[in-house]
Amino acid sequence: MAGSPAEADPSERPVTGERGQQSGPPAEGIEPALCGQPAQGERQGPVVIARHLKDDGRALLLYTRREDQPT
Amino acid sequence: MSELRFNELRGEQVDYAIHRQERTFLPTREHCPLCPTRPGAAPTEIPFPSFEIAVFDNRFPAFHAPHGAAEVVVYTDDHDASFGTLPAARAEALMWVWRHRYLELGAREDVDYVFIFENRGVEVGVTLHHPHGQIYGYPFVPPVAALELAADEHLGRCAPCALLGDELADGRRLLFENDGVVAYVPYAARWAYEAHVVLREHRASLLDCHAAELRQLADALQTLVRGYDALFDRPFPYVMVVHQAPTGIADARGHLHVELYPPLRTAEKLKYLAGSEQGAGTFISDTLPEESAAELREAIARGA
Repeated sequence: MAGSPAEADPSERPVTGERGQQSGPPAEGIEPALCGQPAQGERQGPVVIARHLKDDGRALLLYTRREDQPT
Repeated sequence: MSELRFNELRGEQVDYAIHRQERTFLPTREHCPLCPTRPGAAPTEIPFPSFEIAVFDNRFPAFHAPHGAAEVVVYTDDHDASFGTLPAARAEALMWVWRHRYLELGAREDVDYVFIFENRGVEVGVTLHHPHGQIYGYPFVPPVAALELAADEHLGRCAPCALLGDELADGRRLLFENDGVVAYVPYAARWAYEAHVVLREHRASLLDCHAAELRQLADALQTLVRGYDALFDRPFPYVMVVHQAPTGIADARGHLHVELYPPLRTAEKLKYLAGSEQGAGTFISDTLPEESAAELREAIARGA
């Protein structure tokens, strides 16, 4: 199969019994920002994730493709 | 906000989310809540002047923490685009977004099954035309996912692996292939132009895919959807669902594949779920999958 594995770290798989205590977004350890103030960037393959909180408290994630993704 | 009740006769949960009666219904494009927020205009769901892909908690959720999740996935800030017309790089990026949502929602204690889907067209109940999909995080394993697990038990092996092998050996219902993915009309399709897009290798979820496979999955889905649009030379309505391993079961099995259920049986006629389908659970089809596949192969060639 061509290509490199998308999953670099198997530990990020959701595993029953080892799942975190997250009961809703955002993910544990990720600090969201109010709209207009993006939180620190995360990556998922070629996309960068910016987390925001809408005025009513709902989560908003913006995904932007970056061509300089690690291979 | 919502309530689950178990229907004993059907052996299934029914979700009562009565607040959804108030959800936005077919707004004009000037009032589209999924468009970017224009300078000087009232904010939409996405208070930015432009974006690539956006995901947010559904304002009218069918499921919500601490009993599940409901998210909206907006594919583009272009109101007039569609999944099939997205640039290939954007469609590939969407696969990574799906992967990220499966990872993050699947890690939640209150989500047992991450269900990614798109409803396209008013024929399947779309209320917003802006290109988007949705994700439900079910607090239980829903019946269709459970049936697929039961099929594995019945066949004594991974059912999608077995069915893919059968389709490749037969060949008459194949629609499209690339290195990582095969699309076909299934042997026992319920809808006239139903199609399944299946990873060649056994991949339980998007998390197990190689980067190249995500790209090939995006390519296959776009190829198929463009073929749908070419079939009757009109935007083709469909329901598109992503089936993956449940996240709430220890050692859960699964085989990543995407199923598409178009309601059209001709250019102008819809297949309705009526007496036999609703009351007996038996689909009556007016078309043979082999003939539909031949039509779709020609349409895919025209749509390429």
